[in-house]
Amino acid sequence: MYPELNDNINRRNGTNSRFRYLVIAGSVITVIPIFFIVGNLAVKGFRQINLEFFTRPAPDTFQAMMAASSGEVIPGGIANGLTGSLLMVVLASLFAIPLGLMTGIYIYENSSLKYARFIRSLTEILQGVPSIILGIIAYIWIVKNITRGYSALAGSVSLAIMMLPLIIRSTEETMRMIPVSIREAAFALGTPYYKMIYKILIPVSFSGLATGVLLALSRILGETAPLMLTALGSPAISLDVTRPVSAVPLLIWDFYNDPNMVSLVWSASLFLMVFVLSMNLLARSVASKHKYI
Amino acid sequence: MSGDRVTKVLLFISSLTILLLSAGIVISLFGGALPAFREFGFRFITSSAWNPTAGSEEYGAMSFIAGTVITSILALIICIPMAFSTSLFIAEYYKGTRTSGILRSLVDLLAGIPSIVYGFWGFYALRPLLVATGLTDQGFGVFTASLVLAIMIVPYATSLSAEIISMVPAELKEAAYSLGATRREVIFSVVIPSARSGIIASFILALGRALGETMAVTMLIGNANVIPKGLFAPGNTMASVIANQFGEASGLKMSALIAIGLLLFMITALVNYLGKLIIKRFA
Amino acid sequence: MAAMALLLVSCGGGGSTTGKQKQITLSAAGATFPQPFYNLAFKKYNEAGGPLINYGGIGSGGGIKSLRDQIVDFAATDAYLSDAELAEMPGEVVHIPTCIGAVVIAYNLPGVTDLQLTPELLEGIFLGNIKKWNDPKILAANPGLAVPDMEITVVYRSDGSGTTYIFSDYMSKVSPAWKAQLGTGKALNWPAGIGAKGNPGVSGTISQSQGSIGYIGYEYAFAQKIPMAKVMNSAGLFIEPTLESFTAAAAAEMPADTRVMLTNSPNPAAYPITSFTWIIMYKELAYGKHSSEAAEAAVKTVKWLTGEEAQAIATSVHYAALPQNASLQAAELLRGITYQGLTVLR
Repeated sequence: MYPELNDNINRRNGTNSRFRYLVIAGSVITVIPIFFIVGNLAVKGFRQINLEFFTRPAPDTFQAMMAASSGEVIPGGIANGLTGSLLMVVLASLFAIPLGLMTGIYIYENSSLKYARFIRSLTEILQGVPSIILGIIAYIWIVKNITRGYSALAGSVSLAIMMLPLIIRSTEETMRMIPVSIREAAFALGTPYYKMIYKILIPVSFSGLATGVLLALSRILGETAPLMLTALGSPAISLDVTRPVSAVPLLIWDFYNDPNMVSLVWSASLFLMVFVLSMNLLARSVASKHKYI
Repeated sequence: MSGDRVTKVLLFISSLTILLLSAGIVISLFGGALPAFREFGFRFITSSAWNPTAGSEEYGAMSFIAGTVITSILALIICIPMAFSTSLFIAEYYKGTRTSGILRSLVDLLAGIPSIVYGFWGFYALRPLLVATGLTDQGFGVFTASLVLAIMIVPYATSLSAEIISMVPAELKEAAYSLGATRREVIFSVVIPSARSGIIASFILALGRALGETMAVTMLIGNANVIPKGLFAPGNTMASVIANQFGEASGLKMSALIAIGLLLFMITALVNYLGKLIIKRFA
Repeated sequence: MAAMALLLVSCGGGGSTTGKQKQITLSAAGATFPQPFYNLAFKKYNEAGGPLINYGGIGSGGGIKSLRDQIVDFAATDAYLSDAELAEMPGEVVHIPTCIGAVVIAYNLPGVTDLQLTPELLEGIFLGNIKKWNDPKILAANPGLAVPDMEITVVYRSDGSGTTYIFSDYMSKVSPAWKAQLGTGKALNWPAGIGAKGNPGVSGTISQSQGSIGYIGYEYAFAQKIPMAKVMNSAGLFIEPTLESFTAAAAAEMPADTRVMLTNSPNPAAYPITSFTWIIMYKELAYGKHSSEAAEAAVKTVKWLTGEEAQAIATSVHYAALPQNASLQAAELLRGITYQGLTVLR
């Protein structure tokens, strides 16, 4: 009856489904790299992953060269990187978790104050600071003035500054999800302020806080740039915070720069990626299982 | 009641450390950058000279500012269609389905991969592919770096866009459907207009991430201290010149690198502020 | 800021007591050019009861800076300190030569393994004036060689490097155009090509990229089986980089402070891009929190490094051993090093 109307409808429906396919195609293209990356690393990296990989420090250039030229498996592993990463992450957490929690609670408790809102904006700015700049800062503060040399301490400070805003933000957001009724009930019973915080706010929001911490950890575990300027790297296992230490991402950088160690870099990358991703997944499962409200 | 006081003071002191920390960062960067600005003045920003040879030392940040801006914007351009379609997939077409959940987790995984792993993967896996296309001789350069950067920032743009698209009130969309609009028409005439500023903000924040990315870019951009001459030409970014040269820098060069750090700090802070401002407007 | 620093120190102090070991640990940093030798030698020394030495291969420039900031026990450099750099140091610095190395011109060209280069060709390629591998000038120096029609990609060091210093020192001696445009230095204002970090980074990039050419420490090209060009020396002969041709360059006279460049040697058997590489340390080791144990261990380590055993290790990883005059000079300089005014080596 109305042929031009039918044409119009057909055209609109056609555009509609074409756009839908476009969206699906775009989404598929977006996720292709993840399969590509994981697949690449898994195939090339798994060969070198064995017990020795975790218990022995990285080989030196010469050992790797000899092994590479005779076609053997490169001796050594990433033990010095593991201990260094662990040392710096623990130190950074000791500093950033309590400070971050308390600041987050402060901002939440005083969100009506201009000062608290200002601190919140500062936190947002800190969160956007590129990690390499935090490396410069830790270099100026710690390497030049305190440990007078590259050190694990300097590395942890740069990582701690990176963790802080993440923890503050997640703390504040978690606190905000706690129903006001719980606080009111506590106050009605005459609970002192500090008890309310330690015995109610923190335990009640524990899973949310844990998620924030885990996400912050997964973020700093893969950081390389600030550590190049602060922790430097070390061929030996060291637990001295005033001395240079290695870290898994620093080892990847070293391996990458030494073509004889290419097979190690695949394995170390595979390990770091799996570790960081499982930390990430753990954080998400904690978040979804124990969602408070 | 002394416990209350102690707690309150403790909480206040922790908030104060954030203030001191932020002030300290800015003061240290300014202090470190001062000699370079004193020596070169405003020319430090506009000059693209980077000559570390003793005697004729001259430093300018322009090549690196150009490298940073070009790679980040190119990455953003590559990222936009990817993130846009993925967020529509998650928050509109397959909202609430299992498929959408899986896609969302996969995109989140992209955010979890460390930068150095991206760089390494780009060097060994992506670069040979680009060389095979014949567009580039060695595969190092602006385009390769931007491509990897785009993949890295997709999850940030996607998760925020998806969140904002899913917040568009169903009533608005239903009204349009009731008038006979197709889904695409609803998306373009209702969803996008009402989520526009949020979507723009999500891309601005993604741009902020791209500006400061270091390792992956350092491994792929070719580290030539010049303004890139083309899409496949090598260049250098602010973050990667710091990563490359900070270790052995001293004196004026060190100061020039810190000054570049300060400029990078200001650029990222500005971009992030803009993004947050738009989001606040939207909310 | 101060409060935070205090907080950090107290938190750091708690951790360090548990990490202290009886074994002396030295930290050193600098050139990547002799790093394969140092890594191996320090490891052997440690196994024989010597101190544990953390050597950071951060480039010569980084080594000099670390020494100036007094954050290492000793540093390593392939470029001796200029008078200006010496004056900037907080104390008197001694140069101890440890071995002779050479910078080779490594390239990646399908099917080509015997490239010959003249100083003019090096100038043209590295200044970006010769852009293609089949340029008539390259063909003229390599009669009969099947050079492909390919773009030349120059790979240089993106970090401050003694390798760059040695190469540019040589080029400045043989090419006025180079001297005017780039000069001599640890980092240069390169007109063409791409940068990579460290000797390993450059050799890795070359081995991964067809059509590329770059300058690296001999050991790196040797280990990765990257072809090296023969370079025409001052006598007009194309010389292959070998330990013998490096040693031939070392016949020069030795100044008392060992600060001498061996490049462009007049010896007709010498490979022209050859140099000493040095350990640098303070003459007076009592500074900052530096302990007398660390000072003694550092001097002994360097003395051992210039001794027979370590020199044999050097040749095993393709560095030429110190000639007699240099090792005598090194021993003399080491005897002059003091801690609180007292000679460390007794």
